[in-house]
Amino acid sequence: MLFTSYYLWIAPHILLGAFLICLLRRRLQRQLPIFVGYVVFELVQFIVLFTIFLHTPYHPATYKWALVTGEGIDSILELGVIYELANELLLSRSALGLVLRPTLQAILALLLLGAAIGSGAFSGISVERVTNIFEMIDFSSNLIEAGMVLALFIFARALRVSWHSWIAGVALGFGVSASIALISAALRAEWGKRAFGAADLTLMAGFHVCVIIWLVSLFLSDRTPPFPDGKLKVSDLELWDQELQRMVQR
Amino acid sequence: MTAATIFIVLGLVALILTIYLAKGHLSKGGDLEKLAIQLRPVDIGAFCNLISASEQEYLREHLPPREFRSIHRERMGAAVEYVRCAAHNASILMRLGEAACQHSDISVQEAGEKLLENGLRLRLYAIQVIPRLYVSMAFPQAGPTPDLLADTYDNMSRQVVTLNCLHFPTHGMSSAL
Repeated sequence: MLFTSYYLWIAPHILLGAFLICLLRRRLQRQLPIFVGYVVFELVQFIVLFTIFLHTPYHPATYKWALVTGEGIDSILELGVIYELANELLLSRSALGLVLRPTLQAILALLLLGAAIGSGAFSGISVERVTNIFEMIDFSSNLIEAGMVLALFIFARALRVSWHSWIAGVALGFGVSASIALISAALRAEWGKRAFGAADLTLMAGFHVCVIIWLVSLFLSDRTPPFPDGKLKVSDLELWDQELQRMVQR
Repeated sequence: MTAATIFIVLGLVALILTIYLAKGHLSKGGDLEKLAIQLRPVDIGAFCNLISASEQEYLREHLPPREFRSIHRERMGAAVEYVRCAAHNASILMRLGEAACQHSDISVQEAGEKLLENGLRLRLYAIQVIPRLYVSMAFPQAGPTPDLLADTYDNMSRQVVTLNCLHFPTHGMSSAL
């Protein structure tokens, strides 16, 4: 159990470091700059928390406040990444921006309402104030994240918009991780301290899966098939001619 | 049912749906030549006739109410099929547009972007128009549907021809439209 905990805490961050190196080498940071900022922050947060954890004597209060502060910044960055993904997928296209922007805002408002209701219900998980704050931030950000990613995928499917595979991978990773974190937060709320260990493992496993998805998607080739520069044939010319004539007659 | 149970179920549903919807994005795209075969012919003139307000008014005046309702339902059903075919073709042409956007020639890139933009617009209209056609099917007294979709589809056909003229291989897509 102890080995699993350490593995799920350390291994995803090593993979995340490798992912960041690959991302920077391919110069993909310009496509999703906030996401790159999020990855860097996630790594810094891990180093800080791990250092506090290894420090003797160990101060649980320092660790918890560092965790809560990190979670708050993390949540803001995650929302930024969601905006970046929405922009890359839909809002940057003039045909869709006007219609979909208010729709996405309405979905966000509904999710915020859900997060407020859920946070109210989960506000008394622990007697410790810091744990309660952490749980509320964690739950709210994950609910919003999972809902927004799902909404983006639904719009992309309905409109047949194709993403570059690595960006779809980033969205999928976030969606999977947020959904698992949502389940984990609800489990902690339902069973209290008894479920903290199992719920934490689930949360870390979700993040591990998320990082693996990001890494795999980075190595998948782009979805758009390359089109060769072909010379025109006479038959093609005839087809255009027919088409043009048909349009002129209309 | 407690709040926790509700959120556990919501989390599970979100997880399954996200994975299901993302599957298509992560798989490698198909061959454009094969996609061209999947294009379905759409007669824009016939579609315009089906959703024409004057045509609807004419039928209403000259047919008994019961017969009018029956014919109107059939006409709207056919219009829905036309819209579906146009939206299906739009998704294929959007792939062509995406491929054109990667071309080295700027004029081909611009034509591809226009095609992509119109394809998206058409799919968006289709999503909005299909429910309205069903409403019109159920309530023949409701107002006619706009023919904006027909114009957009027409624009798309022109852009495919433009791409052809810009020496971009469209594998006979323009003839299939």
